[in-house]
Amino acid sequence: MTASGITCIATEGLTKRFPRVTALEDLTVTAGAGVTGLVGANGAGKSTLIKILLGLLPATSGRARVLDMDAATQGAEIRRVVGYMPEHDCLPPDVSATEFVVHMAQMSGLPRTAARERAADTLRHVGLDEERYRPIGGYSTGMRQKVKLAQALVHDPRLVFLDEPTNGLDPRGRDEMLALIRRIGGEFGISVLVTSHLLGELERVCDHVVVIDAGRLLRSSSIGEFTQATQAIAVEVEDGLQSLADRLTGVGEAVAVQGRTLTVQVPAEADPGRAYDAVRDAVCDLNLNLVRLEQRRGHIEDVFKEPAA
Amino acid sequence: MMPEPTGVIHDIGYRHYEGARLGRGNAFMALALHSLRGAFGFGRTARAKIMPLLLVTIMLLPAVVSIAVMALVKQPAMRYHEYAVIMQAVLAIFLAAQAPYLVAPDLRFRVLPLYLSRPVGVLDYLGAKLAAMSVAMFLVLALPLTLLFAGELLVDLPGPPKTGEYFASMGGAVILAVLLASLGLALASFTPRRGLGVASVIAFYLFTSAVTAVFFGVLMSMGEDAAAKWSMMVSPFFLVDSVQVALFGTDPSNGEGYPPGLWSCVILLAVIAVALSGLVLRYRKAASS
Repeated sequence: MTASGITCIATEGLTKRFPRVTALEDLTVTAGAGVTGLVGANGAGKSTLIKILLGLLPATSGRARVLDMDAATQGAEIRRVVGYMPEHDCLPPDVSATEFVVHMAQMSGLPRTAARERAADTLRHVGLDEERYRPIGGYSTGMRQKVKLAQALVHDPRLVFLDEPTNGLDPRGRDEMLALIRRIGGEFGISVLVTSHLLGELERVCDHVVVIDAGRLLRSSSIGEFTQATQAIAVEVEDGLQSLADRLTGVGEAVAVQGRTLTVQVPAEADPGRAYDAVRDAVCDLNLNLVRLEQRRGHIEDVFKEPAA
Repeated sequence: MMPEPTGVIHDIGYRHYEGARLGRGNAFMALALHSLRGAFGFGRTARAKIMPLLLVTIMLLPAVVSIAVMALVKQPAMRYHEYAVIMQAVLAIFLAAQAPYLVAPDLRFRVLPLYLSRPVGVLDYLGAKLAAMSVAMFLVLALPLTLLFAGELLVDLPGPPKTGEYFASMGGAVILAVLLASLGLALASFTPRRGLGVASVIAFYLFTSAVTAVFFGVLMSMGEDAAAKWSMMVSPFFLVDSVQVALFGTDPSNGEGYPPGLWSCVILLAVIAVALSGLVLRYRKAASS
């Protein structure tokens, strides 16, 4: 599930210039198996990169390889074994999700009976139940995103490109989608390249994050490296938060109170168990009612505010 | 009391697909068949079935009446080679109703990128759509022609059956189907809105018919018979009729005849080429956006 030796995507000096704008500038990145996040502001070149990787758009210069195939010359072979979920709406309103996904499976080369089975399986996995027989026109945004995801997965690709899959979703839909992406990269064994302009949501699902800005690479590293330095414990108690904070400060922990939550910093080099023990002992000694105790990763945003190493 | 559940659903988790992955040819056939079914309303809502069914029925009516006439007076009524020209309005309406359905929704709802991110290329996509529209147009015309022929054989008119004329008309139907499908899809693809597509195909039909009628009438009254015959080439239906005359030696259905030689075939090929180039250019642009 974590990045292994396999390279799914590799670009080398990839540059794409449009008549008026440079979308990608000398981009060299690699991504292994698992879930890779591609982060950048709108217009940073994420969608352009996906189109080049699919072999649909020629690069101005540089090379791109997907699953060890050249994107410029082996586009058709690549498109047989990858899936693509576009950012924009792409669903006809007057057919049902089942019919649509079956049709798209056939377009990927599956025989009709296999397409039907796969469509039913895939729609179940993304969480569309009885409503899959109704026309798509009546679906909510969350359901539409699920159909878009299902059509990208229906032919059991080795790699999927998900372009802004959480766009327009409410917090619950967003959580569901992120959990689904995690499952695709883990349980399903399909590598994922997922784009987002929100760094925070990617830290929950990615093994590896690539950050681009204005077509240039800002940073590329595994999620562990991003958050290692800023591990923290979040503690919530019913009453007596201040006394707990004072007590922990007394034993030498770095604490901060944010509203009802107490954050205890865990120094990267120290034994992490020490901070947990200190919190446990303090809560017991003060006889407080513990509501929440969880490990919290530092937000990726904070990491990116520092100059890239 | 509720009965004990007997079946249990097990979540067997994600299963990989190990079966066959067919090539582009299979996807092409699947798309063409899907589009062909759709052109007749199959796999669509009940409302979408009304129009094609109605038009096919209207196309069959003259054949049914002709068979009745043949059976009663033992004389041929409707002739094969003029079927398309007489029923041209119905064929034009069928084209106007179905060509936009085949191309417009994929552009309007941006489904096209999903096709193109698969092994299906732009040319595969267009080829499948063109094949579907051509076959649909052919079926709409060939069905009544075949019914008429079957009727003629059953009624057993005096004299030999007009087998040659029947096959000549079927050949004409193939040519007409390809021409109309190319024109219809090209016109319909320029707007992502289906209603506008329908309107533009109908407008094209009315315009070419009007131009043909006006020029033919004016030039005939001026005594310019040769020029008048050339003006018939503007209408797709008379163009195909003249090709049918040139290739298969049928009687002209316009009463006056057409310019001699194979010029009509050259014009036909040129029109198809222009329509298909327009279609390909349109989709090259749509695919890159």
